[in-house]
Amino acid sequence: MPPKRKAGAAGGTAAVATTSAATKRSRPATPAVDVDSSDEYSGDEEIENTEEGRAISKAVNAFSLDLVPKGNDVIAKRDSVSYIFNKQDFSYLKMKLDHESRPLWINPESGVIVLESFSPLAGQAQDFLTTIAEPLSRPTYLHEYKLTPHSLYAAVSVGLDPNDIISVMDRLSKIPVPPKIIDFIKKCTSSYGKVKLVLKENRYFVESSDPAMLQRLLQDPVIGPLRVQGEGGSGITKEKAPQMGALVIPGTRNAAGAANVNNPKGGRPVEVAGDAAEDLFNSDAVHSFEIPADDVETVQKQCLDLGYPVLEEYDFRNDRKNANLDMDLKPQAQIRSYQEKSLSKMFGNGRAKSGIIVLPCGAGKTLVGITAACTIKKSVVVLATSSMSVVQWRQEFIKWTNINPDAIAIFTSENKEKFRGDAGIIVSTYSMVTNSRNRSHDSQKMMDFLQSREWGLLILDEVHVVPAQIFRKVVHSIATHSKLGLTATLLREDDKITDLNFLIGPKLYEANWMELAEQGHIAKVQCAEVWCPMTPEFYSEYLREQDARKKVLHYIMNPRKFQATQFLIDYHEKRGDKIIVFSDNVYALKAYALKLNKAFIYGDTPQQERLRILENFQLNDQVNTIFLSKIGDTSLDLPEATCLIQISSHYGSRRQEAQRLGRILRAKRRNDEGFNAFFYSLVSKDTAEMYYSSKRQAFLVDQGYAFKVITHLQGIEQLPSLAYATVAERKELLAEVMLQNSEAGQQEGDDFDGAKLSYNAGRKGTRYRRTTGKLSELAGGDDMAYIEYNRSRNKDLKGKGQSSAFFKKMHRENEKRRKEQNALKQ
Amino acid sequence: MSGNIRGFGYLESLPPVTFRRLYQQPATALAIFRRMLPNLAKTIVTTLLYNETPVALGDLEALVRPESYREREDAFSKLRRLHIITENNLDVSLDPVFKKNFRGDHHSFGVPCNTEDKKKITVQFLDNYATRQFEAILHYMVGTHNEVKPSEGVITLLTKGGLMERYGAGSQATITKNGFSFLLQDGNPQVWALLIQYLEMAEELGMEQTDVLHFLLMLGSLELGQAYSVNTLTETQKLMLADLRDYGIVYQRKSSSDRFYPTRLATTLTSESGGLRSASASMSSAMVKDAEEGKGFIILETNYRVYAYTNSPLQIAVLNLFVKLSTRYPNLVSGRISRRSIQEAIKMGITADQVIDYLSSHAHPQMRKSLVTLPPTVVDQIRLWQIEGERMKTTTGFLFKDFHSTQEFEEVAKYAEELGVLKWKKSARRCMFVTRHEQIADWLKRRASAQQQQPKKAAA
Repeated sequence: MPPKRKAGAAGGTAAVATTSAATKRSRPATPAVDVDSSDEYSGDEEIENTEEGRAISKAVNAFSLDLVPKGNDVIAKRDSVSYIFNKQDFSYLKMKLDHESRPLWINPESGVIVLESFSPLAGQAQDFLTTIAEPLSRPTYLHEYKLTPHSLYAAVSVGLDPNDIISVMDRLSKIPVPPKIIDFIKKCTSSYGKVKLVLKENRYFVESSDPAMLQRLLQDPVIGPLRVQGEGGSGITKEKAPQMGALVIPGTRNAAGAANVNNPKGGRPVEVAGDAAEDLFNSDAVHSFEIPADDVETVQKQCLDLGYPVLEEYDFRNDRKNANLDMDLKPQAQIRSYQEKSLSKMFGNGRAKSGIIVLPCGAGKTLVGITAACTIKKSVVVLATSSMSVVQWRQEFIKWTNINPDAIAIFTSENKEKFRGDAGIIVSTYSMVTNSRNRSHDSQKMMDFLQSREWGLLILDEVHVVPAQIFRKVVHSIATHSKLGLTATLLREDDKITDLNFLIGPKLYEANWMELAEQGHIAKVQCAEVWCPMTPEFYSEYLREQDARKKVLHYIMNPRKFQATQFLIDYHEKRGDKIIVFSDNVYALKAYALKLNKAFIYGDTPQQERLRILENFQLNDQVNTIFLSKIGDTSLDLPEATCLIQISSHYGSRRQEAQRLGRILRAKRRNDEGFNAFFYSLVSKDTAEMYYSSKRQAFLVDQGYAFKVITHLQGIEQLPSLAYATVAERKELLAEVMLQNSEAGQQEGDDFDGAKLSYNAGRKGTRYRRTTGKLSELAGGDDMAYIEYNRSRNKDLKGKGQSSAFFKKMHRENEKRRKEQNALKQ
Repeated sequence: MSGNIRGFGYLESLPPVTFRRLYQQPATALAIFRRMLPNLAKTIVTTLLYNETPVALGDLEALVRPESYREREDAFSKLRRLHIITENNLDVSLDPVFKKNFRGDHHSFGVPCNTEDKKKITVQFLDNYATRQFEAILHYMVGTHNEVKPSEGVITLLTKGGLMERYGAGSQATITKNGFSFLLQDGNPQVWALLIQYLEMAEELGMEQTDVLHFLLMLGSLELGQAYSVNTLTETQKLMLADLRDYGIVYQRKSSSDRFYPTRLATTLTSESGGLRSASASMSSAMVKDAEEGKGFIILETNYRVYAYTNSPLQIAVLNLFVKLSTRYPNLVSGRISRRSIQEAIKMGITADQVIDYLSSHAHPQMRKSLVTLPPTVVDQIRLWQIEGERMKTTTGFLFKDFHSTQEFEEVAKYAEELGVLKWKKSARRCMFVTRHEQIADWLKRRASAQQQQPKKAAA
């Protein structure tokens, strides 16, 4: 591929649009062969496109396990079954004598670590492993983690020392830590986290605990001349390593009263990773030299080229140039232990580190963000995915903190405010910030405001949604001292997230879903996959159909699936559940919702109507079911929902499945005795959907969720007024489906595939497409007559409570008059 | 107890004469009593044992609670099939031969060797020996290459029994569908399946069948670690020793030696409960001394991953039949069950239920702590994977076609439907498919004759 260097700034979004559209089209065509979802990804060409991307992947790839030279391994003892395992037979390893009391196995080749979760040491080991390795699967008994360069980078950045990592690992492992793994850890950690970029009193310092490292950098032809010569002459200063000291994260147990007590140990408020990691946070002295602010980016880039990615730290307590923001958590805000744990990693040494915190939906990501903001107490930018969640973020800030509501402003296409005063918070969306064309005068002014200032913290909500290119733009256009990414699922099928680690920062914390569910922080969920056999008519049409997009339509509109939906809605409404039905496909969404007479929201639904429907769903006990398109996947806070039915989805997207599950995890009733939320995924049997479904579930299944397969819904035949019960009705539906053009089979465009980012979010139709058609079609001749059989429930909701007594009276009089006239005529 | 490969239940099909001869040996009578009778039947036998006069059937039935009707019938039918009881006009008595020998004034439990062995044979040695021999057979079946190759006699036994197949003389034998099912069974049924096969083969070789059976059943009542004398055995039984040695059931230092040792495989032959789950498990449990240890080693997770605490090549090879194994640590192997791995197993002739049985009977103690041993979602899914391939249902039956008129067709169809034998019909082509034809044929004949008479009447 030719390098697109200039694409970074101006043409960036356009490039995104084309490439993502390409991947979208090609995805359904991928052969449905391998159902196992593999967690390994191939390299991403798109990232390679840009210079920085190439540098990043170079830095990452420099340390894959394969490159570690093979030591003088013991020649593997091979027996009759060794051939099954190929190179993965490690039976030659010697077990330690007391291996039974130790919980870990370490795979010398791949860096996978298996943890016995029923071992007495498992708790400690688990804390330790989440810090240094990537969790692969965490079901009931045995968990798997994997050491990766990224995870080690994260470990180093929270202050772990490689030797301590190895010694703790050795303490926990059943087998001696293999030399290859030791090499790997040392190699990775020797370059990661060695160099820090610290902003202190508004001067930038390059800091390292290893003076030799700084010397090496100073000898670099690019970095060397940039050094600001200090008074001392040598340019390298030495000082004591930063300690967390008196810094207290608000809302934590320590903050509750002990904040002023002088803690001799340095007052680390929480144990970060249990006993195992206790001793790992001691570093002694640091060395640094100063560089001018203008050249920060040059230095960062050069360091990355040299293979020493720079960690950013923000010494916010010593930042006197930027005004403090007066805000604190309200006393009633108590943050939970895992939130505390994640924050303590961010503020581990009294400075703010940039990074990503991964918590399941509904586990209080927002509160983590808010607490971080309250700790730093500087101006904050919050970027969310939609204008709906922008409003929610602002409300949350006001709910949890004592911030002056005037100091928190919203920047969306409808609202463009600035805060008054020196410091404040701005909440906006990614699209508002990255949109560079067609910007109105107001928003341009707003952007200038954003870009002209320095910010203490940038909170990036739902980081997984946005491809890396957008982040690069965001990160470059807003000058911020620290970045906090929040997400529930750090995965994308197209894997554009690998370099988030470097754009935002390492993953600081990832919670265990099952554990949180056990502790009652998120709801327990019963997952089920309902197999709906295709009716013969639909199946033969499905097989005959050539157009992949229309094939999709056939299995989504499968009448048996419709019946299953109807049955499940009926069943759960009777139980008193509030139900969300998800469909990616807008045609099906409308068809289902209209037929069942339920309210629905999709991309084209106006903001006002959306809010009205959601309000009704939350408060009106007549409205127990709503249909949502993929716009409802993320950042929609509906604690009332207790049941979720998914009728069509984005191919094999594991992330979407997890996000959707997240909609019911925060169920209000979760702590009721024996409460379960329900998650149904409806798939048409013997179609491509089955394959996608097994792929989609891979992530949740690895988190310990179990999907029960339901092949028959008991009592579905007895349901009165079951739709499409006769062949004639089904044929009619089929005919209708076949009349749809292939566009209907497509899903609603992803808000963040980039396609829409160049326009105002939520507005469709500026794209043109060419379709073949008959004149009669254009004239409406194909539709015999327009009769609205299925009235939209949306309209009912609209009518309610809106007409005042005066209009009602007028309406009644009109009716009366008309009737009289009719009577006269006869 | 007996598996779907022919196990102990095979005995039931033997003719009464054979039973009479079997019961002449007290050890055999005892073994059958211990091993084959349900508990209720045992009670009945002991009730009858010292009753010199026949007992009325009604009285015996009155012993059993009315709600346990099914168990009672089961017990009686078993006793009848094994010819333990004889009935005479509602009076029941024990078979005289069985009664006499079961009361037991006998010395048929093997004669211990009274001379001291030069080299002391320990129980552990016997266990090792048995494991090595028996696992060699299993290894050979799975196709893994073990140091100990089973003898030619064993291979013949396996091919004769339909557990393995050999295409052309001298070529490598390959395992059959039956063989795979055999592998997934517990140890005791496995041993029995082999021995029954041996019994059948013995007949072909001209060995006395009852002699063979006597010896096998006697083995079950011998004591582990004790040497027994060869001298009291019949010629047939002496011949057998050589074969049983190959299976690991008895140990003899040399074929000329005048003493033999039964191994654990022999002494558990007629013990009532399976107790020891598999040959290798029973061995390891014997060696570790801690019975809990050997019981279960497999962990099945909800994410379809399988972890097995084992380093036994045999267990790994068996797991490999239906699990995609990936990594092996010194005491653990990990892999996962996938649609493909299960369907490959099904193709080899293993059923989903066998897989599930194997997994649950070898489940790790940790898994047994929970209410349901195996994650139900995974179990369901394994079954569903099997069903996926079983969409065609076959019904044997008869096709009726070439009806003279639509009316005739409809009438027959209606009649067939009333009988409940109609499976399918197509009016346009006037054909139908029924499961039974006799009644319809009758009906058609009657109808035809009636019709023949009618026109006559009309003519008159």
